[in-house]
Amino acid sequence: MRKYTVQVARALVYTGLTLAVATLLILGAGASPLQCAGVFIRGIFGSLNGFAEVLVKAAPLMLAGLGISIGFRSGFFNIGAEGQMYMGAIAATVVAMWPVQMPSWIHVTLAMAAAFLAGGLWAFIPGILKAKFGISEIINTLMLNYIAFDLTGILIRGVLQDSTDYLPQSPALGPELAGILAPTRLHAGFLLALLMVLIVWWLMEHTPTGFELQVVGSNKRAARCLGINVMKSIVIASCLGGGLAGIAGAGELLGIQHRLLEGLVGGSGYTAILVALLGRNNPWGVLAASIGFAALQVGANTMQRQMGIPAAIVSILTGFIVILLLCDALILKLIEKRKVEGAA
Amino acid sequence: MEQIFTLAFLTSFLSAAVSTAIPLAYASMGEIYSEKAGILNIGLEANMLAGAFCSFAVAYTSGSLWMGLLGGIVGGLAVCMLHAFISVRLAQNQTICGIALNIFLLGISSYFLKILVSNNPAFPQVATFPKLAIPGLSAIPLIGEALFNQNILVYILYLLIGMSQVLLKHTQWGNSLTAVGEHPRAADTVGIRVYRTQYLAAAINGMLGGMSGAYMVLAQLGVFTENMTAGRGYIALAVVIFGRREPIRAALAALLFGAAECMQFRMQALGIDLPAQFMNMLPYLITMIALLGSIGKQRDPESLGKPYIRDAR
Repeated sequence: MRKYTVQVARALVYTGLTLAVATLLILGAGASPLQCAGVFIRGIFGSLNGFAEVLVKAAPLMLAGLGISIGFRSGFFNIGAEGQMYMGAIAATVVAMWPVQMPSWIHVTLAMAAAFLAGGLWAFIPGILKAKFGISEIINTLMLNYIAFDLTGILIRGVLQDSTDYLPQSPALGPELAGILAPTRLHAGFLLALLMVLIVWWLMEHTPTGFELQVVGSNKRAARCLGINVMKSIVIASCLGGGLAGIAGAGELLGIQHRLLEGLVGGSGYTAILVALLGRNNPWGVLAASIGFAALQVGANTMQRQMGIPAAIVSILTGFIVILLLCDALILKLIEKRKVEGAA
Repeated sequence: MEQIFTLAFLTSFLSAAVSTAIPLAYASMGEIYSEKAGILNIGLEANMLAGAFCSFAVAYTSGSLWMGLLGGIVGGLAVCMLHAFISVRLAQNQTICGIALNIFLLGISSYFLKILVSNNPAFPQVATFPKLAIPGLSAIPLIGEALFNQNILVYILYLLIGMSQVLLKHTQWGNSLTAVGEHPRAADTVGIRVYRTQYLAAAINGMLGGMSGAYMVLAQLGVFTENMTAGRGYIALAVVIFGRREPIRAALAALLFGAAECMQFRMQALGIDLPAQFMNMLPYLITMIALLGSIGKQRDPESLGKPYIRDAR
């Protein structure tokens, strides 16, 4: 019972502080918080399109977040989802541009498979460097993000450029992830993301490999004593994570943009890290957190369009919520202290 | 092609390279202190953005460049102390905290900029620190102009590089800092105050990071723009690795990376047909290669990124 009240108090503190910050930001921009709240909620639930848009934005966060969570649970600290997403998108573009006659669904499947491979290979580099030589994956994955981004820039100004104009982008790609809720932008990539939630959950909780990965993540020495191949586990975790991020990038490409562009990923690889954290590295948690972040984005975009509130509010609240979460121990302590005082 | 490699071209190129390298050098100098003490601060970008925005806001409202500089230092300090509090006192994941701060500062600085701009018909601007030629030295051909005809913040940086080199390598305090980063428990046992040392290192990191951002506003551009650091905080992390966490080496690494960035704009003039992105990519590639090359030789401080929990066994 006591624990239950603490949980409620904690949830109240989180919600209260976040709403307070949001209110201040809206007041600062010279708008009415109540009116904005209405716009925010209507933006998400007010139309089929708004609701679908939440799921559209959630899909890449979910896929990349799942990949990152596998890494975190196995002790591979992957902050390279951004780059892995770009590499996935590049590989998918190459396959999609391949001028061969085949049914569209086969072509898309091949492109997604290539994206998984490319993302996985991109993560294999820091994975093997960590497993074999003990080089920190944090710096390497970070560097590879920028390298992948610049590589995208080079390719869309070179071999992958649309030859019919001068814009730095690939030609419009034929194969696409089918829409599943016309006339909205929701596409099959979202279903794929849901499927991956199930697969990752099954893999981590119900297979020997998942068990080994988790042991390696929590205690490397114990893992060695159990006869687990630690090196292999780290490499597997990195490649799986990179592969999922690769699919996330390809989903954005084949489901939304239909062209390889420089802004294709636009920072969602970093947001996905926070999604994994907020979802406590649990697949179902990642599912919920990615939809939460996506809803925040969609609602805030509506506020920007209709009320002129700067869209920067999304980054502010995202950062704020995570910082609060990091201060969780402090918040709990304060709650406990108040309770003790109240009881005395 | 040959005519372009004139003295005038090289002089202006070196000048630009030094100027580009300064923010990287400031930020990486701070990060060296932090990493030596075991705190990996991925939030350099946030430090720099806070420094840039605060210096701009303060300089704009007060009309004083020096007040602006102070504002930038305080801004960077505040962000870094929050990171230190979360990583030292609350023993949370330092990388996550850094990324969250980066995203938070990106948002909050853009938000306040919008408000500042919407209250002003003209885009607000501030003056920049003037160049001060050092007599004699600035007349040295080729490097004189680049190194000794710069603004005051550059000369302050030279002093800081020298001081840091001595402080970190040749003083008792430098040894304590290294001990905290390598083996905090052993350091604690011999009476070094681990937490205090880490907070101090973080404070230095925050102030230097703030100066790095302030330099971009008060010496380079005179304005603050959304996301103006554009990933320089991450390049500074690479500089620290490439410079092996030694101040002078890091300063040279910053110069190299600065030169790579400046090269982009001059390649076309030189008739080199490479995409600009290639030069962009170079610092990151070099850093990874340097990491590979360091296998078996250099290594990270043993406790880098790991919180020290005093009561744990």
